[in-house]
Formats: sequence, C-alpha cells, structure tokens
Amino acid sequence: MTTHFITAEIDLQASPVALSDAIAAELQQRGEPLRWAITAVDETTQTATIEGVVTTADGTAPDTKLVASISE
Amino acid sequence: MSDLRAAIRPYTAVLIVPTGVGAAIGGYAGDALPVAKAIAQVVDCLITHPNVLNGAQLYWNLPNALYVEGYGLDQFAAGAWGLAPVHRNRIGLILDQGIEPDLRVRQLQAAEAARATLGLELTDYVITDAPLGVELQSAKSGATWGTIAQPDSLLRAADYLITQKGAEAIAVVARFPDDLDSPALHHYRQGQGVDPLAGAEAVISHLVVRQFQVPCAHAPALEPLPLDPTISPRSTAEEIGYTFLPCVLVGLSRAPQFVSAARATATPRSPFATPTLWAEHVDAVIVPDTAFGGSAVMQFGQRRSPSAPTPVIIAVQDNSTTMQVPPAAVGITAYHARSYLEAIGMLAAHRAGLRLDALSAAIAPLQGQQL
Repeated sequence: MTTHFITAEIDLQASPVALSDAIAAELQQRGEPLRWAITAVDETTQTATIEGVVTTADGTAPDTKLVASISE
Repeated sequence: MSDLRAAIRPYTAVLIVPTGVGAAIGGYAGDALPVAKAIAQVVDCLITHPNVLNGAQLYWNLPNALYVEGYGLDQFAAGAWGLAPVHRNRIGLILDQGIEPDLRVRQLQAAEAARATLGLELTDYVITDAPLGVELQSAKSGATWGTIAQPDSLLRAADYLITQKGAEAIAVVARFPDDLDSPALHHYRQGQGVDPLAGAEAVISHLVVRQFQVPCAHAPALEPLPLDPTISPRSTAEEIGYTFLPCVLVGLSRAPQFVSAARATATPRSPFATPTLWAEHVDAVIVPDTAFGGSAVMQFGQRRSPSAPTPVIIAVQDNSTTMQVPPAAVGITAYHARSYLEAIGMLAAHRAGLRLDALSAAIAPLQGQQL
C-alpha cells in the first residue's frame, strides 16, 4: 500500500451530503479515500477545491491532480 | 434536574477544530482544550477529537467527553459507525523503527509512567518491521498534509497488537523529521501559522482506524527543541517534555469503541448492552466559521431523511483558519457565533429548548395565513 496526496476541483451543485458522497466517489477513482476536505469555494465558477490523501495498492500511482465535473 | 433530563434524552454536542489548518484556537498544542472543558459544562455528552484534547504532557479528563479520532468521527457523522462508551481500553503501543534508541526510551518511559502513575492498561509494545518514513507536505491552501512510505508496516504492527496481544486501542509513535530551521516550525512555536506535523499525524491514525475500526491516536517522536524563552503560550505544552505521548494514552484509555451500523443491525441487542451513540443523537455541532469543507460537518449539516433531526450548527467566527469554506458555500445553514463564549450561550439556550433569537431584543411577530 502507498499513500498519495490528491488535489481536485469539483462543481458545486449538490446538497452537502450529496456533495460529500460525490467527492468520496471521485477520489475513489484514484485510490481509497483516507482524508479529504474542501479547502476553498469559488462562487463565480461554482467550483470547490479539494485536497486529500488516498491509498493505493503497491506499484499503483494515481493521477494526483484531477479536475472532475459533478452535477447532482 | 440534569440527571433525569440526561437519562431521558442526553444533550450531545460535537466540537470540531480541524487538524493542520492553522486554527487560531486549537491549531497549536491542545489549545482548544479550554473550549472543550467549557462546552462539557453545558452539555450531557461532548464528542470531540484528539486534536482538541491532546496537549502533549498536558491533558484533562472530562468524564462526559468522548475522544473520537477523525476518520471514526467522519464515519459516525455519516451514520456508518456508532460510538459505544467504555470504562477502559487496553492500549497497544506501536513504536516506529525509525526512532533512535534514546528517543525510544523516552517514549517507553512515558508509557510506563502512564501505567504506574495513572494506572492505565497497556499491552506489550511493538516496533514496526520497517521505518515508517513520514514525509510532511504543505498544500496550496496552507493546510499541512503528509504521507508515510511504509503504511503496511504500520498496519502489520497494529494487527499484531490487536490479534495477538488483545489491544483494544492503538497508540502510535512515529519518527517525524526534525526541521529545526524551517520557517513553519518557527511560526508554529510563536503561535502563528499551521502545525507542520498535524496533517501527517492524521494520516497515520486514519490508516489504523479505517483498517481495524478501533480507537487510535498518534504522538510524534522528535528531538527536543532548543530552549526559546519567547515561545507562545499556545505552543508551550509541546516544549515541556521529551514526548507527546501522555495525552494520547489518557485519551485512548476511555475512547469509545466503534460499532458498524451493519453489525449493530445484525446482532440481537442485549438488555445489558452499553447504549451506543449514533449521528441522529447529536443535538449540536460547533465548527470554525471558515472550515465547513470537512466530511463530518457536511454530513451533520443536512437532514438525511424527513424523520431524522438536524442538529443546530454553530459557526464560530473568531476561530480563523487557512480554509475558505463558510457554511453557506456548501449549502449548510448555521448560526453564527462571534466567539466560543457566545457559542456556549447558544448551546445552553438550545438545550433549554429555546429559539436562539428569543434572547435578543428584536423578535419578529407571528404571521397569519388564511387557508
């Protein structure tokens, strides 16, 4: 297992729980989410900046910077 | 009065001061502990996390507080895990192989002191089969994070203590980099900026809690810092000894056990079973005004079903952080308190069954509706 720091930008169009679930699901594509937080919100573009740590199986290197579009 | 009320429906509050985000109150050496002590006086049960309660050599035993690690708190908020209070946990201690022999002795002496002076129960300790390789990072937001090079070694050690030694909670001491000349450390000791270690500490405890669903907390092993008479009072608790382990052992000794929702549903409930706390039992959540982007507060901030109560959410404005996520930005409706003193008043009023605006001069009249 290895640990990786991840950053992401995600559209802000969900309720808090749906947004939380959607962030975890998005990070899941890069590994198993361990810890994350929205660190800033851009009201103009309606996007949230995410920072987090995921774990992956040995030898697997995730894309550590991703831009996702989530609308719920 | 309060005993009967607590027996019928305990008033439960969650205090969150996120780790590694430079919180003006709670971002240093256990300096949100006075806030926790005060809140514990106006609630029946306080749920909070190690970052709030850990003051290195200093700690305070709050009988009605539950010490819940951050990953477990996230699962609790999501309704996936419950919290089962205990009278005591048998603590297993993991020491990073990267800790030098003299420094290791300091940690072991803290553990022996906790056994002899506080009467805590520890299993035999274990040294990891590889140096954990902690690396510190600072993100664009200003938050500190970290990664560890050998997470499997950490998990093997925890597995051994739990399955072979009967540990019910895990304390980890990892060797952290000594970076005596770093501006971040200088600012931290002056009560400014962000704790450079906090993010990596959270990663370590999250790994253990996620894997084993047992309480876990971490203390870094570091060489003593050069004496500096100008240290900020907020950071001083970490200057007065050789180890940060005592507060961790005290917290873990009574940390609630985690109960998964699936296991709780599948297991017939004994009439003698300890009551388990679930997210729907939470009446209030207190969070710094700019730090509403964490998983736990986002889960608490929205009613999950029409029948589930939504706790009152209090955003504390004078506890600034490096985050820029006020409650409205993520769709959470919160009451704004200028300070923790005001927040504690809000808790007292809410617990008394009052509308929070009933204590202000201006009260809007009721409006009639013709059906």
